[in-house]
Amino acid sequence: MTLATFGQPALIAMAGLGLTYNTLVVLGGVAAVGCGAGVVGSLTLLRKRPLVGDAAAHATLVGVAGAFLATGRRDLPTLLAGAAVSAVAGLLVLVLLRRFTRTREDAATAIVIGVSFGLGLALLGGITARGIPGGGGLERFLLGQTAALTARDAALLAVISLLTIVIVTAVLKELLLVAFDPAFAAATGWPVGLLDAGLMALIAVMVVIGLPAAGAVLVTALVVIPPVAARQWTDRAGSMLVLAGLFGLTAAVAGVAVSSLRSGLATGPLVVLAAAAICLASVVIAPRRGWLARRLRSRIRGGDDQP
Amino acid sequence: MNPGQQPLVEFHDVTVAYGRRPVLWNIDLAIAEPCLFGVIGPNGAGKSTLLKAALGLVPVVGGFVRFCGRPRRQVQGRVGYVPQRETVDWDFPVNVMDVVLMGTYGRLGWLRWPGRRERAVAAECLERVGLADLADRQIGRLSGGQQQRVFLARALAQEADIYLLDEPMAGVDVRSQEQIFGVLAALRDAGRLVIVVHHDLRTAAEWFDQVALIDRRLVAAGPTAEVLTADNIQKTYAGGIELLEQLGQAVAERGRTE
Repeated sequence: MTLATFGQPALIAMAGLGLTYNTLVVLGGVAAVGCGAGVVGSLTLLRKRPLVGDAAAHATLVGVAGAFLATGRRDLPTLLAGAAVSAVAGLLVLVLLRRFTRTREDAATAIVIGVSFGLGLALLGGITARGIPGGGGLERFLLGQTAALTARDAALLAVISLLTIVIVTAVLKELLLVAFDPAFAAATGWPVGLLDAGLMALIAVMVVIGLPAAGAVLVTALVVIPPVAARQWTDRAGSMLVLAGLFGLTAAVAGVAVSSLRSGLATGPLVVLAAAAICLASVVIAPRRGWLARRLRSRIRGGDDQP
Repeated sequence: MNPGQQPLVEFHDVTVAYGRRPVLWNIDLAIAEPCLFGVIGPNGAGKSTLLKAALGLVPVVGGFVRFCGRPRRQVQGRVGYVPQRETVDWDFPVNVMDVVLMGTYGRLGWLRWPGRRERAVAAECLERVGLADLADRQIGRLSGGQQQRVFLARALAQEADIYLLDEPMAGVDVRSQEQIFGVLAALRDAGRLVIVVHHDLRTAAEWFDQVALIDRRLVAAGPTAEVLTADNIQKTYAGGIELLEQLGQAVAERGRTE
């Protein structure tokens, strides 16, 4: 998604709407992030681990605050690098909890979400309370705020998203095999543990770069809701990934665009609302799996006893 | 395929435990010739675990498993596997052909997608299990028997020499059972070893050339007629309520077939 896609007339029209060049670049970056989140999120949903992304997302705040405290810098790459470290650390704790304490996956996820998020909030609160200079803008990672993004930041987000999509595409056959039947995959020689670890790393990367758009609390909506919506429309994994990417892109762009109409608005809630609207529409009107289609089918069968 | 005259499959003193609870004790079992081999025993006897141990899906705490005298990793592509049907989500967004193609992935390796040859193999495997006309159907819209045959077709697409099947007849209609058994018998006749975990004593007597009776330990193994005696069955199913009923039927069945 580059500027060229919009074309010159569109550019002028959008400038007329009060959208600056910077806003357009940010929209492009956010579009790529939404797309990547939908694609990677589809795989975690199919692997029956939709909450792994949530755990990673909530763990990012510790890293954001930690990176700021350690370096004193507040540029996006530094803060996101910190977020990535703590997201991966959170997932490691999740895996260790499950392996060594025999805690169930959902309980372990809840522990990681709660503890890491609490720790992150405490650190952010401390930074604000002490009035550490430059620490003021960090809360924007809580609910998302793209107003402060520079064109460079947006380009970085776009490049990482596209790289993630390329990696997923390259090992899609293996990831889908493990998601569908891990026992068969292991029995036929595929390194299931390694592929699972790779998928977890990819989802961690996606929620980290989704932070500016949706924030730690709500970024999970970008990795869970678009895949759920996409599943309604298709019975093939390939088209589900493409659709989830498109839905994620649409939700992210819609949320950020609407929030840019008024300054100071958090983008996360708007992104989530846009994603939820797409999902609701899909659940109702999708052919065959949708509520309407099922309703119609049972109506047609109605008078008949035979299915 | 077997130059050194090693057994096709050999379990040597295999012990498996989940946590601290042992599920299989000191299993010694060697299968030398291609045949239809049944692994029989009550619920919780460790039958599936035996297959999983052979495939490296559960850790073996003692002993080892060899295929043609070699560890599993060296013969990966030659061992086909049919897991229990309930272990996967049949609402997964794939169609019948997609699943059967998964059998070819082992030979393909990383980064390569199934091509014309793999599709031809998969189509032929679907033909053999009688599902050629359902290749494009989403797997959730199949009957239990059809789903089981999809799994069998996927294993066929592995083009293996040894097949391990975990309860392929469970929850399957009679027509599918006969079709599956026909495919397995054809594999045996083509010189493959087919090992089937099975829970039904009645059909075991007529289907398998050889059987192993297992109840956490190996009770007996060998030619079906010699192993499925009232005494061995009594030992395997000791104390089980299903025993009396099954025992009577199995003995009656054997009386009829002999």
